[in-house]
Amino acid sequence: MFLFQPCVGSNKYPGLITASIEFFRKLGIELVTSDDQTCCGGFLTFTNVAQPTSTMPAVARNIAVAEEMGLDILTLCNGCHTFLTEFSHFMNDRPPVKNVVNVILSMIGREYKGNQDIYHSLEIIYKLKERIRANVTRPLNGMKFATHYGCHYLNGFKKTALDDPHMPTIMEELIEAMGGEIAEYGENRTCCGTGLTQIIINKEELSLPHTKMKLDNLNAAEPDAVVVVCPYCLAQIDRMQQKLNYRRSGKYRVPVIHLVQLIGLALGVDIVKLGFDAHAISFKDFLKKFDSIHAKAEVHNG
Amino acid sequence: MHETNRDWLPGFDKKFAELTHQMVKDLEKCLQCGKCTGQCPAAKLSSYNPREIIRDLRMGNVEKVISSHELWLCFFCSGCYAVCPRDINFPFAISMLRYAALAQGYGWEEVKKIKDPYAQDYYNTGLSVNINERNIGVKREIAKNSGTDGRIETVRKKMGLPPKRQVSERAMSEIKFIADATGMTDLFKEIDKKQAKEKKWNYGSAADMVKVKKGPNQKFIDVEEEDKEKIC
Repeated sequence: MFLFQPCVGSNKYPGLITASIEFFRKLGIELVTSDDQTCCGGFLTFTNVAQPTSTMPAVARNIAVAEEMGLDILTLCNGCHTFLTEFSHFMNDRPPVKNVVNVILSMIGREYKGNQDIYHSLEIIYKLKERIRANVTRPLNGMKFATHYGCHYLNGFKKTALDDPHMPTIMEELIEAMGGEIAEYGENRTCCGTGLTQIIINKEELSLPHTKMKLDNLNAAEPDAVVVVCPYCLAQIDRMQQKLNYRRSGKYRVPVIHLVQLIGLALGVDIVKLGFDAHAISFKDFLKKFDSIHAKAEVHNG
Repeated sequence: MHETNRDWLPGFDKKFAELTHQMVKDLEKCLQCGKCTGQCPAAKLSSYNPREIIRDLRMGNVEKVISSHELWLCFFCSGCYAVCPRDINFPFAISMLRYAALAQGYGWEEVKKIKDPYAQDYYNTGLSVNINERNIGVKREIAKNSGTDGRIETVRKKMGLPPKRQVSERAMSEIKFIADATGMTDLFKEIDKKQAKEKKWNYGSAADMVKVKKGPNQKFIDVEEEDKEKIC
């Protein structure tokens, strides 16, 4: 499959890309990346800095890169997934729009066909659930995880989601398949606080108070880590904890982990390749607990 | 401030005929049930109210909506679309209304905050998120946790990756061509120099507006004022 590399995943949390390449290889799927792929480009339209007429060809160009290789696209980011699927739906439904886009793409020697599928990593991973269960080498027994799906997975796919789009349970099922426990909390299905642009345009008024409210609720459930499926949510929940700590607005130290890193951990991918080093909130306590549970299990079995 | 759909702005409805037509048709389905507002994260913290905005649009008070402060408070979480019994894609309407507001001269300062640095980074490097960490505090934490200098380049090298994600020259020239040919570059220039009109309308009371401007927790902000020098 074609791995669509997210910007935040490359420039802030590189572990997402290496972890997914490594564990998909263990499951017998080869992920391919391309240097010709850029930022999806769709976000520029929804933040109103570029007209849809500009971003439509930019998005189509990225899809065309994967189409030329004859591969389906796997996205790690809710944002990339939303923009790629929404824009390709729009073009596929409207042949005149698709034609205009292809006139522009023909000038750079590419063509958008719309013949490859675009998947969110969560959907593919869920379809591989039994294969993952069979390959777990470091089970997550004794660890408690809170889940966070992210708005653009939850709400954007009203008609196409695998599960109930507003109340899915597929991430919980996956964590339980790997032996982990679920920490339930009330603000589970609310936004991380990024709010697409609110972190930039109304940070103090909306974004930070919202994240604080979510974190307070989450901390009450006492999870060992929060599992997310979007690098932008990861950045928000991870980095805002540091910010709130710095402003003495409370003590927050819940590590935030992307689902692909968690599966990489359970399937025995090298810890360095999971990229916990790039996180603002330390994984030291989390890994200490994880290792001590495994040490105990070994003594018990031995 | 009562007006009709035709008064939106010169050319907007013609230019985006297909989109605006769909939007008006969509909003006419609204039941005013308020499920959108009930689950809205922005409505929880401010005077933003999707139901009220839809009502105003249906009554023809479009100018009021596009000159309002609240238009720029949407989180784009699409929660309203997910719960809507009439299947109204309200975030899409907000996006279109923001273009309408820009065409009337409102909201350019908000757009500028996104253009610099994110959209500019996209144009210059192909990625909209910069590898350089702007927040010294986060950099310090990463340095402490990883035992490095806290730069992502170093962390990437430690993981066996090239220090920067490679974007090919072909890709860069292609996205620059698309940006130049479709007017993205021109819009960037306009964002740079355009002076925004002051917003005329707010839905909340005057007291609410002070709250929105200062944030709900006064103490929380004061700490920030002290630290502004030290941290970016």
